[in-house]
Amino acid sequence: MGREIKTFTIGDEIPSLIKNMTQEAINLFEGSSGDTGPSQFTDEETAKGVLGTSGTVASGRMSLTFAIEMLRRYFGPDVYNQRGTMDLRFLRPVRPGDSITFSGVISSVEREANGSRVQIEITATNQKGDTTAVGQGGAIVPNAYLPEE
Amino acid sequence: MDSEKTLLDWEALRVGETFDRYEYVLTQEMIDKFRLGVMDEEASFPTIAHKVDVKQYNKKYTDNGSVNARCAFHCYNAPVAGRKIVVTAWIADKYLRRGKNYIVTEAVSVDETGMLIDRVITHELKQPSEVGKKWEGK
Repeated sequence: MGREIKTFTIGDEIPSLIKNMTQEAINLFEGSSGDTGPSQFTDEETAKGVLGTSGTVASGRMSLTFAIEMLRRYFGPDVYNQRGTMDLRFLRPVRPGDSITFSGVISSVEREANGSRVQIEITATNQKGDTTAVGQGGAIVPNAYLPEE
Repeated sequence: MDSEKTLLDWEALRVGETFDRYEYVLTQEMIDKFRLGVMDEEASFPTIAHKVDVKQYNKKYTDNGSVNARCAFHCYNAPVAGRKIVVTAWIADKYLRRGKNYIVTEAVSVDETGMLIDRVITHELKQPSEVGKKWEGK
């Protein structure tokens, strides 16, 4: 794929991302590291014991991964996978059956020696309209990916 | 309780404590499973699911469990299947907020060729049952 030249403007919304959570997806995520023991993410009894919740919850790291995906798609893997950041605070649990929408708005664009640092305010919202996570992510976009001045 | 582990004494925990190096080989199977789990065929950082920043903490300490309150991730290079990943993790900070104890762990992953992979910083609340009570109404 060719290099995509983009213009970044404060206030612009980036394409959102929707994820439908299932217990199977949570189990795959948790099991992908080789850890197979019960946890608050995979086992209702453990969740009840550790968290006091009536069911399992998804790890915040899954939301982190989804927010990273949204920015990778926006900036492109060439840029984001080498210069990307994400910082999320988790406000509410994400449970199996939830549908989470990740959205972002460009909050700052600053020139740096090796390109422009583009920062994006991130919000994750569930199907009830409740915010499950907020934060900031971004990337340093190299000059080669920016329009000529 | 695992008798080889130390019960966490939050007051005594030293910011800057660095854990034993952790190493693992990232397999294609791990990557495939991760990508299925996150429903993204191009997901590039399966290292996130390995929770390497708290792995050695959990090996050394025992506590009442934790809830991830905040997590930051820096991408440097997508890891390559079949390579050994070497992780250095440490206690980056600890703080009290609204009477609750938090621990901040940080980890940097590098592969066997010396390629920098990622950096992860996690804020964990160490009284998870308190959060569970709050969450039940949400």
